[in-house]
Amino acid sequence: MTPFAVKDCALLVRMSGLPPAINLRELRERVAACSENVLFHHFCESLLRPAFDHPDYRNDFAVWAKWYLSDRVLAERLGILDPYTVKSLEELRAITLDIFDERLSEVVAIPSAAPGDEFYFLEATTVTFDTGERVNSPKELGAAIRKMTNGSIFFHFLEARRRIPVGMDDFSAWLKGEEKKNAKYIRALGSIDFYFHSLSNLKEEIIAALAKVERKR
Amino acid sequence: MSMTLSAYERIVGPSAITQLYRLGKRLKGRRIVHVNSTREGGGVAEILDWMVPLMCEVGLNASWEVIRGTEEFFEVTKNIHNGLQGRPVDISHRDWKIFQDVNEANMDRLRPILKSADIVVVHDPQPAFLLPLCEGRKGKWIWRGHIDISRPFRPVWKVLRTMLEKYDGSIFSMCEFAQSLPHTQFIVTPSIDPLSPKNRDLEPAECETVRSRFGLDPDRPLLVQISRFDRFKDPVGVIQAYRLVRKVLPIQLVLAGGSATDDPEGKAVLEDVLEAAGDDPDVHVLDLPPTAHETINALQRLADIILQKSTREGFGLTVTEGMWKGKPVIGGDTGGIRLQVVNHYTGFLVNTPEGAAHRIRYLLHHRERIGEMGKDAREFVRENFLLTRHLREYLTLILALRGDVTARILEV
Repeated sequence: MTPFAVKDCALLVRMSGLPPAINLRELRERVAACSENVLFHHFCESLLRPAFDHPDYRNDFAVWAKWYLSDRVLAERLGILDPYTVKSLEELRAITLDIFDERLSEVVAIPSAAPGDEFYFLEATTVTFDTGERVNSPKELGAAIRKMTNGSIFFHFLEARRRIPVGMDDFSAWLKGEEKKNAKYIRALGSIDFYFHSLSNLKEEIIAALAKVERKR
Repeated sequence: MSMTLSAYERIVGPSAITQLYRLGKRLKGRRIVHVNSTREGGGVAEILDWMVPLMCEVGLNASWEVIRGTEEFFEVTKNIHNGLQGRPVDISHRDWKIFQDVNEANMDRLRPILKSADIVVVHDPQPAFLLPLCEGRKGKWIWRGHIDISRPFRPVWKVLRTMLEKYDGSIFSMCEFAQSLPHTQFIVTPSIDPLSPKNRDLEPAECETVRSRFGLDPDRPLLVQISRFDRFKDPVGVIQAYRLVRKVLPIQLVLAGGSATDDPEGKAVLEDVLEAAGDDPDVHVLDLPPTAHETINALQRLADIILQKSTREGFGLTVTEGMWKGKPVIGGDTGGIRLQVVNHYTGFLVNTPEGAAHRIRYLLHHRERIGEMGKDAREFVRENFLLTRHLREYLTLILALRGDVTARILEV
């Protein structure tokens, strides 16, 4: 098995150039037109941005709907969206737009935020670098993950799902090199319901899942 | 005195420190120059005080230059500052000429350093005109806006924009502050140094000394607002809130303000505050020197509740400082305070003296919430607003500037 190369990443957040949205209709228009990077940022990258660690919802649209549009119905529908369960960001966009459209058809007045509470569309560059650390066997993986930064966890376990093989974390992709031998590890990683965790919690979950496999060996 | 990175390991963990060294290794020897307008006083000077040495420690060749200006210049830049924060101000052609002349004089002095730097970060509007004067520059120039320019007074913004649009990028503390500019605008929130004299742990005896020095009663609740004497910090509104609570509860208030060499308006505001305080022995208005870091630290630790009732705020590092000391913060619903104060978790956001008074009374009647919120607040700061995160974002930005800053993934 080739050693697993541990990478790290840091996020550089920037304005997307889209005008901010003040109400649900504008939010719908901007989400329909924005790049996939903007969509990815607001659904997935908020974990790496300075923010309160236990928000009600994991995506920025749901948080905004609750706090600034005061539309709890919309917030709940958006909040349950898990971007990692859809095949592509375009599919995620279609589902999100469908939720907006459904809500627009239900409400009498378009939910609006107060001036100063607009939704700002952001995107980010993920700057990645090789840490020089290597993991030589699945047995070492848990200990290696314990030493990783939140950036490494994000890059290998979450961001990886956007890369080829799409939908798979880097650890599992590496373990698949000897799929039969590593089946239990792959299953353990696959069983983690990761989207609603903070990165620190996710790290602990991954370590615990791998340790469980080790104990059973 | 600034610390080495290893000193922060026990606070943020070893992996966060290793990450900084790894990023720095890729930038070894890069020449980065920060330019601002004051060495002491205010959040920008405090940030640069730790950032420059730590950038050097991870391998960069970093330095900090301060522009020199006349009293007249700082009066003009204070007006520019106020205008950018939305106050209608009158800045004449002559004022702009003073602004440009001082920048030119500084450019003559700083030209060799700035021209050869790989990256120049110009902080706030005072030195913003340096870039158009730096012909044949080698590196990339970034403008770092620390103040809330979400709704600037347009005539001021229109002039400043002509200078800023020449930069290669800009950094704002919050997306709400970003403006229409023809370059990439990055979002980097500021931070505090947990080991600085203003934030390090203090012995109880050190706090008690400060309590005695200012005649504060240990048996009555203490409210503290630390900030420059600046109208946007609404110190008079804080006194109004105090008076509303004082009718029913025996509280004390400390309004402690430093001053900065680039803020000539502070004296006038201080006089207004003293007048509003009157002869109330429980309102302590303290005009502290910029070096009174330990005193401020102790006052924040002695407080039951920290106030930051600003009506405009770039970020509000005093909020972060208060939270780091495990205190709930009642803050103005504006600027960066909104990013830090999570209603009902780390404190409360308010819009009026009445709102502040209501939340003060709520917390003083639910003392257990003070402890709970304070604990959440400290952890929130540890995760998000300490200097290690801030340094990481600057290093990432400098790395990204070597390549395509708009790429989704950039391998370095």
